[in-house]
Amino acid sequence: MNLYEHTIVIKQDVGATQIKKLTEKYSKIVESNDGNIVQTENWGLLNLSYIINKNKKANYIHFKIKGGKDIIKKLEKNESLDQNLLRYMTVKVKKFDLETNYFAKKEEKTKKENNKN
Amino acid sequence: MLKKKRIQNKKNRQSNFSKLSIFQNSKYKFKKSCPLSVKGAPTIDYKNVKLLKKYTSENGKILPSRITNVCQKKQRELSLSIKRARNLALI
Repeated sequence: MNLYEHTIVIKQDVGATQIKKLTEKYSKIVESNDGNIVQTENWGLLNLSYIINKNKKANYIHFKIKGGKDIIKKLEKNESLDQNLLRYMTVKVKKFDLETNYFAKKEEKTKKENNKN
Repeated sequence: MLKKKRIQNKKNRQSNFSKLSIFQNSKYKFKKSCPLSVKGAPTIDYKNVKLLKKYTSENGKILPSRITNVCQKKQRELSLSIKRARNLALI
């Protein structure tokens, strides 16, 4: 049972409801092939460091998947057909670190600052 | 006795090499330790953009380990994660 970190980059002008639909669609693919999703992170709308086919910003979804290698093959086959996705990337990892979320800090930080002042 | 000698020999060869790099100002020249393999060092990860940005130049090039004083093992991990972050347009 390998551990994969799978991130997808979704186009800018896709609504929040559609993002949810996309995440459910891909998590269903993973679950149907007897893999399980350990964690999903929504990194939100981030500025791209370079323009990917006319998009300056993009939504990032990050999955932490545990399962065999055929899951990734199926997942990427569907993702290459999908129009809304700009990029997808899977990384085989030895172990997950589930606590640190580098991209959620901004919200937590602003929350902390609000409490302070 | 012979083994000990060889280790000493290896050590000062490294220090001569670091003296050669003209870019480093004198404060860093004698700094032996690699900043990433210290105990409390942050983990190298393609998501950890803040750390990766420290080891790239302004226009996004990977700085050589001769300048950033990073050991070879960490430099390989760094360059791999920087390339992954570039692919995801994070850097």
